[in-house]
Amino acid sequence: MKRRLRPSAVMGLTAVALALVLLPQIVSNPFAVDICIRVLLFAFIGVAWNLLGGYAKQLSLGHSAYFGLGAYTSTILLIRYGVSPWIGIVAGGIVAMLASLPIGALCFRLRGPYFAIATIATAQVLMLLFLKFRDFAWGAEGTTIPNLGNSPWMMQFDAKAAYYYVALILLGIGLAITSWVERSWMGYYLVALGEDQDAAEAVGVNVPRIKRDIYLISAFLTGLAGTFYVQYIYFIDPNTAFNFNVSVEAALVSIVGGIGTLWGPVVGTLLLEPTSALVQSWLGGSRGGVQLTLYAVILMAVILWRPTGLLGILVGAYERMTGAAPGGAPTATAAARKGASFDG
Amino acid sequence: MGEVLAVQGLSKRFGGLRAVQDLSFSVGEGQTLALIGPNGAGKTTCFNLITGYYRPDAGSVRAFGRDLVGLRPHAVCAHGLARTFQVARPFGKMTVLANVMTGALLRDRTLQVAHRRACEAIEFVGLSDKEGRLACDLTAIDQRRLELARALATAPRLLLLDEVIAGLNSAETDQAVALVGQLSRRGVTIVIVEHVMRAVMAIAQHIVVLDHGRKIAEGGPKEVAGDPTVISAYLGSSYSHA
Amino acid sequence: MLLSPMVAVIAQALVNGLLIGGIYALVSIGVTLIFGVVKIVNFAQGEFVMIGMYISYWLATRTGLDPVVSLVVSMPLLFLVGVLLQRFLLRRVLGLGDMPQIFLTFALSLLLINLGVLLFTADYRTVDTSYTNSAIHIGPVYVGVARLIAFVLAMLLSGALEVFLRTTDLGKAMRAAAQNRDVAMLMGVNPDHVFSMAVGLSLAMAGAAGSLIMPFYSVYPGVGQVFVLMAFVAVVLGTLGNVRGALLASLMMGMGESLGIQFVGADSGLIVVFVVLLLTLALRPSGLFGGQTR
Repeated sequence: MKRRLRPSAVMGLTAVALALVLLPQIVSNPFAVDICIRVLLFAFIGVAWNLLGGYAKQLSLGHSAYFGLGAYTSTILLIRYGVSPWIGIVAGGIVAMLASLPIGALCFRLRGPYFAIATIATAQVLMLLFLKFRDFAWGAEGTTIPNLGNSPWMMQFDAKAAYYYVALILLGIGLAITSWVERSWMGYYLVALGEDQDAAEAVGVNVPRIKRDIYLISAFLTGLAGTFYVQYIYFIDPNTAFNFNVSVEAALVSIVGGIGTLWGPVVGTLLLEPTSALVQSWLGGSRGGVQLTLYAVILMAVILWRPTGLLGILVGAYERMTGAAPGGAPTATAAARKGASFDG
Repeated sequence: MGEVLAVQGLSKRFGGLRAVQDLSFSVGEGQTLALIGPNGAGKTTCFNLITGYYRPDAGSVRAFGRDLVGLRPHAVCAHGLARTFQVARPFGKMTVLANVMTGALLRDRTLQVAHRRACEAIEFVGLSDKEGRLACDLTAIDQRRLELARALATAPRLLLLDEVIAGLNSAETDQAVALVGQLSRRGVTIVIVEHVMRAVMAIAQHIVVLDHGRKIAEGGPKEVAGDPTVISAYLGSSYSHA
Repeated sequence: MLLSPMVAVIAQALVNGLLIGGIYALVSIGVTLIFGVVKIVNFAQGEFVMIGMYISYWLATRTGLDPVVSLVVSMPLLFLVGVLLQRFLLRRVLGLGDMPQIFLTFALSLLLINLGVLLFTADYRTVDTSYTNSAIHIGPVYVGVARLIAFVLAMLLSGALEVFLRTTDLGKAMRAAAQNRDVAMLMGVNPDHVFSMAVGLSLAMAGAAGSLIMPFYSVYPGVGQVFVLMAFVAVVLGTLGNVRGALLASLMMGMGESLGIQFVGADSGLIVVFVVLLLTLALRPSGLFGGQTR
């Protein structure tokens, strides 16, 4: 059954898409473009996290492991072997993907909070390992990547707009994958296992395999983000690559925006990234304590008042106004949201 | 040969507690077997052992010509055994339809086909008018219906029902008994765990009585009802009907 | 008695590990108590240790009060904080599922750490007492006096808690609620009250841990993170909700970490945690003492 979009929705979407594509041409302030790039990037990371944490409810707080692995893979390939980051980004994704297999095999034996703790531990261990690796990966000081001027084939651009478009494409890929998953048999299986793992197995859901598979996808995408980030800031070190903040933000934007929804991470990032950028510029310099305090407060507020996230509020408001559910396609998550009022 | 489920020498202990001891029984094709016994007799444990949620310490479970021990629950389900849980476990934030579709997707990943099969199951249990409702918003009874529909959607050849009737009023009990009867006439082999004797007598052709994890009696309804060991097991414990 | 140097080194490491394990025990008992009774994993437990440490630091620098003695202040204060925590925060997410519970206490942890950074800066602060650097000899082994005192008091507190849980009505109610909440309620246990008391006691334990280690440990906003990670692994190892298990497992973790630091390297605390976690999961996912993995 196809999703029927009303003409007004099609027009609205086209307008938004157009605006997104033209944005860097219109906005000239580099600070603003930088925020947009960060929004796109962290929305993408959030989307990657959301597949595992939102739909399947495996709440990982260790996604920085894959971010870092992706970043380091492409950087090592670039600096030591001269390989273009366009290849490196895929290689990084694959390395991240492969790493998710043993990490998943270990961590999925635990459930709920203990799974989260195990993922934190694995990410920290990776950071420690890279802090010790001198010969292979530059150790604690990290390295800058050589500035090759404007070399598109090496993923380096003079124009910030180019990075914007790469990030936009990454986000598009993430959303496309999520959308496909949502509408397919996998969507049902993911949400079911997220709701009740044992009951899901009773109706034939191969829970271990589905968890493994969604983790592969999630890790791969997160790895891509890592490479992009290094290419954008021209620098890598274990603290940046495996930074706990990445793990936190990946989960945070999804929870705040709408956990387990397609657009949730995007909505969440739109709220969080500009806010934190503004707060940081207000207080001058990076008082890291402020950003995280802000995130913590927002997270607590969301959990206490609207655990389903902003999208839950928006969808609820839409339904109250129009008396109808948006879309109407029989996808697992659409089917799940139909008629819900999220007051539980 | 007609024997679809054969449990042999099944044993399971949890620490010091022997939940199931040397249990053996078999179920013929199309039969309905009831597992009864006082609380704590090991009936649900038995289900968990058969469907792969627990691993037995000893013994074997064979169904449809295959050894089930060591298989994960989803593989057991794929092999044709579906079960319901004693306390219903719906996927709360999914609609009734989505719940049942999850079961239907086992046999065919195409959404259209699964949708059709799901609707059939939903209609069979009488939940068609609540198709779009969230499972967590259903009454307990309807959640049980949903549980059954979801299990049926996996197209099982053997159905394990854990206390589907307990707590229902008289009319609801009759409905449930009728449903089970219909399933049986369709050729589904059924094993039920039940406390409600009226239903057991009406549904089951063969009864196995457990007490403290052991089989203490077996036979047709009349035999078992008159068996003194059975009577003392029930009267001798602090168990009482709802 | 002459022991080979290697044995002496190992013995020293084991003793050091045992002593710090006592502190891990206080933290992990707190975690397992909350988990057992309220069924929530408190990601912020380490931050309450941190708060206990800052309280003792403040009292020591203002009034010269010995940190160990100041646990008569930090414990009741943190008990109160625990009751408030349960009443105003934890209660709101009971029964809502994993995500709200995990992220509420996780957010709290983030909040407390970063408020700490904003209020106290990230500087390390220490308190020196008359016995901070003294040690006694037991055989070939040096035992730091401060650590010994901390260990003894930690064991006393753990023992007292165990007695409390076994013999008092409230303690039994807690154990009942931990085993089966519905039945406990049917038997007249007031869940709110029991939960508040459990969280209060748990945080009091954390506060005590903080006060006890102040003589030989530096405080900084993130100090709790180290303890909490150890504590979580000990809780899993000792079986979720099992107070005695948490105690024993913590002592073992302490010794393991100490051996790791001795023979592998200074940073290897986390590696030890990880390896222990690995082994536990591979061999006995339900912990050393049986029970649930959830």
